[in-house]
Amino acid sequence: MTDLKALLAIAGKDFRSEARSRAATVATVFFSSVTLVILAFALGRDAELMRGAMPGALWVALAFSGVISAAQSWQGDLQEGALDQLLTLPFPRAALFLGKLLANWLSMTLLGALLLPVAVAFFGADVAAAAVPTLLVTIALGTLGFAVIATFYAALTANLQARESLLPVLMFPVVVPILLAAVRATEAAVGSGDIALARSWIELLAGFDLVYLVVTSAIFHVVVEE
Amino acid sequence: MTHAPSERRPAWLNVLAALAVLGLAAGAWTGLVTSPPDVNQGELIRIMYAHVSVAWISFLATGVAAIAGMIFLWRGARLADVVSVAAAEAALLFGALTIIGGMTYSRPTLNTFWTWDAKLTLTALMVALLVGVFVVRGLIDDPQRRGRVSAVILIVVLASLPLNYLAAEWFRTLHPAKAIDLTGGGVTMDPIMLQILLLNVVAAALIFGWLMAERIRIGLREARALEAREARERDREDEVVRVR
Repeated sequence: MTDLKALLAIAGKDFRSEARSRAATVATVFFSSVTLVILAFALGRDAELMRGAMPGALWVALAFSGVISAAQSWQGDLQEGALDQLLTLPFPRAALFLGKLLANWLSMTLLGALLLPVAVAFFGADVAAAAVPTLLVTIALGTLGFAVIATFYAALTANLQARESLLPVLMFPVVVPILLAAVRATEAAVGSGDIALARSWIELLAGFDLVYLVVTSAIFHVVVEE
Repeated sequence: MTHAPSERRPAWLNVLAALAVLGLAAGAWTGLVTSPPDVNQGELIRIMYAHVSVAWISFLATGVAAIAGMIFLWRGARLADVVSVAAAEAALLFGALTIIGGMTYSRPTLNTFWTWDAKLTLTALMVALLVGVFVVRGLIDDPQRRGRVSAVILIVVLASLPLNYLAAEWFRTLHPAKAIDLTGGGVTMDPIMLQILLLNVVAAALIFGWLMAERIRIGLREARALEAREARERDREDEVVRVR
């Protein structure tokens, strides 16, 4: 119970510091919107092509901005030895990881929910009202898997040189299965709206999330060992 | 301090090297000369012997690297880290060869250099992940931390491989149906061809073993040299303190 409290306290701390600085929020919201605009320009004026590219564009924008926010999430802790202080407290390291993960996941999910209507509007996709819950579940589970790997690798690279360019290089090959399943689930839900197909991809996505969550939580204590 | 007798090149290493070269020659001879041409693919089947055996060993090597990494995390023995690096380097080499072989093989059979086939995609991702391990290793100076971080990454890499395979397999696949079904569906390959393939797998495994043995030997000497240098530097610091 106290471990859970520690986890929530870590997440709450990250949310409060973000609410005060708003640095990551501003960066990710604008960066992901700009990514969508660039992708829309790059794909040209073919309306059919644009409509088909919407799920991919949405996830590319989410993935790129997710890397930025994950990299920033450990930077505050590294200043003034704050992380060393945190590590002296009597709770499992996994609680620290899961707390950071919770904060990263929630902010990415909110960003995804915000970006979804923007992407739908930019790319002219049709979304049936019945498909909206499926899309939101896809966003929640896709960003969960992404945030697990992003938070983990961001901790791993936090005190290395060139971490900004290193983080995406290291983590993108690992999140490929998450992104593939999320893109396919989104694709199935928009347009014709094959909810059953989307559900089977969502189930796969949930399985991937679980595997990564278990593996990373189990070995996280090694990452912060000093 | 200088070369102890144990530093001399052991005889078994030369035997292993000779065996690996002999295995390679036998595999190449049977694959290129003895094997009959395939019903569907004709002479192109000869690429398969080299390609499939190298691919299997690349995944075996990644598994060995990750397991050695786990042992390093568990026991902290430097030998485990040395083994892990040796296996990861071999995995990178065999993975790159798998990609080259796969592209060579798919150009005449599938009429394209690159297919987004599950196995080729998986190998490409694995190579990218292994490159990441070496990039990170290069950035960390402390040997203990370097070993830990690379072990952690290798464990995540190992966990991601089946997921990458599943996702890529279901995303879209162009690969000809698996001839050897590992789930127990039986072997549909001609027995002679299967024997030649297995001979080539053994040859690739011998080469892997030989490279590992050489690399572990180098790694251990590297570690010893580093320790000796650190000890010398410590001694020098002590002297400075004494002079003051």
